[in-house]
Amino acid sequence: MLDTFEILTTSGVVLWSRTYASVNPSVINHFIADVLIEEKSTAAGANDGNSAATNPPYKHEQHTLRWALVKELNIIFVAVYRSLLHLSWIDKLVDNIKALFVSLYGDQLKKPNTTIVECVQFDEYFDQQLHELEGARSKADDATDEALESRDDTALGGVGEEPPLPPSLAFRGRAQNDAAKEEQSADSTPIMTPNNSRPNTPGGSHLVVAKAGPVAKMSRRAKKAQNAHLAPASSGDEAPARRSNTAKATKPKRGRKWDADGLADVDDGDVQLDYSAPNAVASDSDASAAGRSTAVEEVDASTWGSKTKGKFVLKDLGDEVQSILASAEAKNPATKTDASAGLVGSGLSTIGGLFRNFVGGKVLTKEDLDKAMKGMEEHLLKKNVAREAAVRLCEGVQKELVGVKTGSFESINARVEKAMEASLTKMLTPTSSLDLLREIDSIAAPPVTSPNKARPYVMSIVGVNGVGKSTNLSKICFFLLQNKYKVLIAAGDTFRSGAVEQLAVHVRNLKELTVREGGQVELYQKGYGKDAATVAKDAVAFAAQEGFDVVLIDTAGRRHNDQRLMSSLEKFAKLARPDKILMVGEALVGTDSVAQARNFNASFGPGRSLDGFIISKCDTVGDMVGALVSIVHATNVPVLFVGVGQHYSDLRNFSVRWAVEKLLSSS
Amino acid sequence: MTAMDTLKNALEASLKPTPTVMLVGLAVVLLFPVLLHFILSASTPYNTLPSVLLVGPSGAGKTALLTLYERGLLPKTEKPAPAQTHTSQTPASVELAVNEDGTSSFRDDLDASGSTAKKFLLVDTPGHAKLRRFALSRLRNIPTTTSTGKTSKAKKDSKLKAVVFVVDAAALADSDGRGDSLAATAEYLYEVLLALQKRMGSSQTSRMPSSVPVLVAANKLDLFSALPAALVKSQLETEIGRIRKTRSRGLLDSGVGADDLAATEESDNWLGEYGSEKFTFAQMLEFYTEVDVIGGNVAGDGPGADKWWKWIAERI
Repeated sequence: MLDTFEILTTSGVVLWSRTYASVNPSVINHFIADVLIEEKSTAAGANDGNSAATNPPYKHEQHTLRWALVKELNIIFVAVYRSLLHLSWIDKLVDNIKALFVSLYGDQLKKPNTTIVECVQFDEYFDQQLHELEGARSKADDATDEALESRDDTALGGVGEEPPLPPSLAFRGRAQNDAAKEEQSADSTPIMTPNNSRPNTPGGSHLVVAKAGPVAKMSRRAKKAQNAHLAPASSGDEAPARRSNTAKATKPKRGRKWDADGLADVDDGDVQLDYSAPNAVASDSDASAAGRSTAVEEVDASTWGSKTKGKFVLKDLGDEVQSILASAEAKNPATKTDASAGLVGSGLSTIGGLFRNFVGGKVLTKEDLDKAMKGMEEHLLKKNVAREAAVRLCEGVQKELVGVKTGSFESINARVEKAMEASLTKMLTPTSSLDLLREIDSIAAPPVTSPNKARPYVMSIVGVNGVGKSTNLSKICFFLLQNKYKVLIAAGDTFRSGAVEQLAVHVRNLKELTVREGGQVELYQKGYGKDAATVAKDAVAFAAQEGFDVVLIDTAGRRHNDQRLMSSLEKFAKLARPDKILMVGEALVGTDSVAQARNFNASFGPGRSLDGFIISKCDTVGDMVGALVSIVHATNVPVLFVGVGQHYSDLRNFSVRWAVEKLLSSS
Repeated sequence: MTAMDTLKNALEASLKPTPTVMLVGLAVVLLFPVLLHFILSASTPYNTLPSVLLVGPSGAGKTALLTLYERGLLPKTEKPAPAQTHTSQTPASVELAVNEDGTSSFRDDLDASGSTAKKFLLVDTPGHAKLRRFALSRLRNIPTTTSTGKTSKAKKDSKLKAVVFVVDAAALADSDGRGDSLAATAEYLYEVLLALQKRMGSSQTSRMPSSVPVLVAANKLDLFSALPAALVKSQLETEIGRIRKTRSRGLLDSGVGADDLAATEESDNWLGEYGSEKFTFAQMLEFYTEVDVIGGNVAGDGPGADKWWKWIAERI
């Protein structure tokens, strides 16, 4: 069962909600933070947020969320239910509620400077939709033969809520009907079925009108499924007539003539009576025409109504809902054709569009943006951003901009650049504070009130061969020594010849440099050939004993796609238990940066990932700092430091503004 | 043929230097810029309401406070109840009013009492770390680039009168144990105060930018575990002092060259009185930034949000 359904704005105000079982609000907060702000789960271009059916469900603890977004109005629709339940109609519910809410309260949402939307009456609409979809669903489970049709489509509609009548009842009705006609056997014989639609009582002509039904918006397949479900729910008399609609939908309508004794003569002539779209994949104009024509029929269809439980109030509401849904659906293709007609159409609007290109105030369409986005993508690629990241960034920006009005005297390119700047800033900005010194203080020298005991702060550095792990480690060490910490360096690279000696040289240099300022640094080494994880563990224990503030662990460089070498990292993370694992990535690397970052991020086993990146060799690439973007894009792990030179002091905090400026600068 | 003739005549007439043609041409030349101005000014609403900015970390209760003040004004509702809220992604602004002498409560209906009202905008900003640029750029007086044209336009032109920094006093209390809520909150407050301090120092013109007072609203005092306002103040002060110290010792930002180093003095990035041992909010007075800490709560029983409203009303 549904736990809760909420409609909220992007500014965080819940406009309307319905709760069946209380759900901790943190579930939805996590969803917003993870999916919409940090964009953790989105695979590149997988969804546009428009429809719940295409948005991947979000799972948090025991709950699953289905959601949809209306970008123009800044509202989000979220349905929460227990993950244990498999509710296939939820996405349809979310979409229907979305269409209803937008059409009912859309104009209220556009008002500036208010967060109030009067939507008390929406309860009824929601109940109606829920009953309808749930009803259709349960029926689909019961009635096995209908369920064969299409399980998903059953969720689409169906006005009835009653359990299906026993098949015998439906059969009796059909038999009656058969008596009046000739040799009808079953619905499945296509030629004969048109006769089925003749009611046995000529006065009941309303049943003929029931062709499209109130669900004009649905695909033919869906209609078929729906009608199939309606059939057993209604009384025996109506059943055959409606059932025939199912069959009728499967083949073209034909002209009929009536002979003297009331029998139908099927005419295969060229008179076309079927004005509906020939199939589901009709062209845009066809589809909109179909939508309109069925919507018109829906009006007379509503006069007969369904006698579900005899509740006419409910029925009226249901019809209103259906007509809203139908018009919302009909609008979709219509707007599309309008847009294209407007572009190639009257010269005046074209000139107006050109004019607005310069003056601003132009509503951006996908076509306008395509060229600008292509240029932006090209630009990013030139800055050494991996293709994958560049494409995703551009898609994000494009989605964000479609339908946005440009400002006064603002060209499309300027608008795109602005949006890209915002998007890059958002991506590169870390979620939590990255003040390393404060973190070290809180662990190595916790306040007296804190229950934690002082222990050394453990940092380890990983990376591919030759990116500068040892160099950056010494740079960090230098920085810490200047801040008067007692540092132990552990030689975890027990593999490469000369690695330990290299660190020893660094330690000697650092000692000489900082001895006057009071820094203390020692090297912990166990020679070559030992297991790096054990060495690291011993080093941490040693540091705790000797009262060191910080332990810096160097590791051997490893290729990120070598499973054998990477698997030892998991053991390393378990034994040494570093407070921070930093990965060194070089700014020189191109597309491979994405794979490097991903593989290293996943190599520490479940529950542990990288805490930050150090981007080395930034001084060698000039403006082309795209590797930064690729790495952060792939992992959502922030960049901590940037290496900008050969000296110990050439380490910098990462500044988002600096990176964004470099990325967008053109030269 | 006649159609062609009339067209030809019309063309010829329009090219002759007759007074009518001259007049029409003159009128077009003169009227076009005027028309253009009207078209452009109509498309951008000109709105100069004073504004109050709501900032603070995520989950502190900014949006709840906003909705409380807005809905509290509704005559229909029996008692003021904030709307249910979730994490914000975009800023939102609400138009509120207070009477001339600043004594009306947010529950009062000003239309009914007939007093003249001063309107202002209460602007809510997202507290998520990735989205703080909305608030910070607003403080630095840079027009924000939001994807939602609706909200940003109204904000750009309005004048910043005060900043309300909402703090979750209950979350601060258990920060010693596991969460680093205090550290995160203090860091954000540090950013806000530093932005305000720099804003004072960086005025190019002789005119000083108007001072922006800050209210630290210790929210959620209805909860048992919440710290009282005085403790919130002292905790935040010590934590900001700690941040200030580590910041000054930290590495330089990337992109800062050696030549820039001389230009920017160290004291520029030091919040409060330079070189002072302990940070107190009183030090901010030196930069014409008044900081007050007042406790209250949005939901539940407790002191309520009236004191904050009073504070805001006095500064409008």
